[in-house]
Amino acid sequence: MSPQRRLRDRISVVLHMAMTFVITILLAQLWLFTASLEAMEDPDAPLGVGLAALAVSLAGCAAVWWLIRVFLRTESGS
Amino acid sequence: MPLDHNERQSGRDGARWRQDFPIQSGEASYAARREFTKFLGLTSTAFVFGTLIAAGRSIWKRWAAASHAPRAVARVAEVDVGAYKLFRYPTDGDPCILLRLGPSAFAAFNQNCSHLACPVHFDTEAGHLLCPCHAGVFDASDGRPLAGPPRRGLDALRVDVRNGTIWVSDPGGAST
Repeated sequence: MSPQRRLRDRISVVLHMAMTFVITILLAQLWLFTASLEAMEDPDAPLGVGLAALAVSLAGCAAVWWLIRVFLRTESGS
Repeated sequence: MPLDHNERQSGRDGARWRQDFPIQSGEASYAARREFTKFLGLTSTAFVFGTLIAAGRSIWKRWAAASHAPRAVARVAEVDVGAYKLFRYPTDGDPCILLRLGPSAFAAFNQNCSHLACPVHFDTEAGHLLCPCHAGVFDASDGRPLAGPPRRGLDALRVDVRNGTIWVSDPGGAST
């Protein structure tokens, strides 16, 4: 196996990991969204639930866009 | 460098079709992945906006509850033990029910079922609040769900009796 081929294989693995992270973050964001909806409907739920869900979801979104940028840069570079 | 199929077909680089179809066959898979990842990113952004709206609405509801003034809904003598009275609070679009469970025991709830917002009614014999739409049953003393599809209790109101008058207010709001 040539060094170039080996490098491409490694990059491919990294890219698959990045996409797996992205999908995981999206699923977590979906769960946070449903949790915030539950908190909105329940007057007894602490106010911090919705705010914490928002903060984590925002961090997840930033991570998704960062991973996508890394993904596309790595792919176009390889 | 050998010409690809498209270049052989056109015979020149500045062809009009190149402006209409700028993506070459070799770049197509990259462009497709770029579009797909953009879709994932926009989905993530949409989740953030959805969560933002839910959190904002949650804050707004609490602020609105705190700003509603208590209201006198009945005289104690108007409601017999085991009877109920319907009223609206805090706005005319919010139907509520006041229950007299004992000589000095009162409870008040928003009348909308927590399942699909059908109005609940008081079953005086069973001592429960019933939803006729999907057979939801709630405890009359605290509004917690006892049977049927509702998973969340009824929204309870704070009840105060002063000088023979029954006052209701939001539980999160300031009392007088």
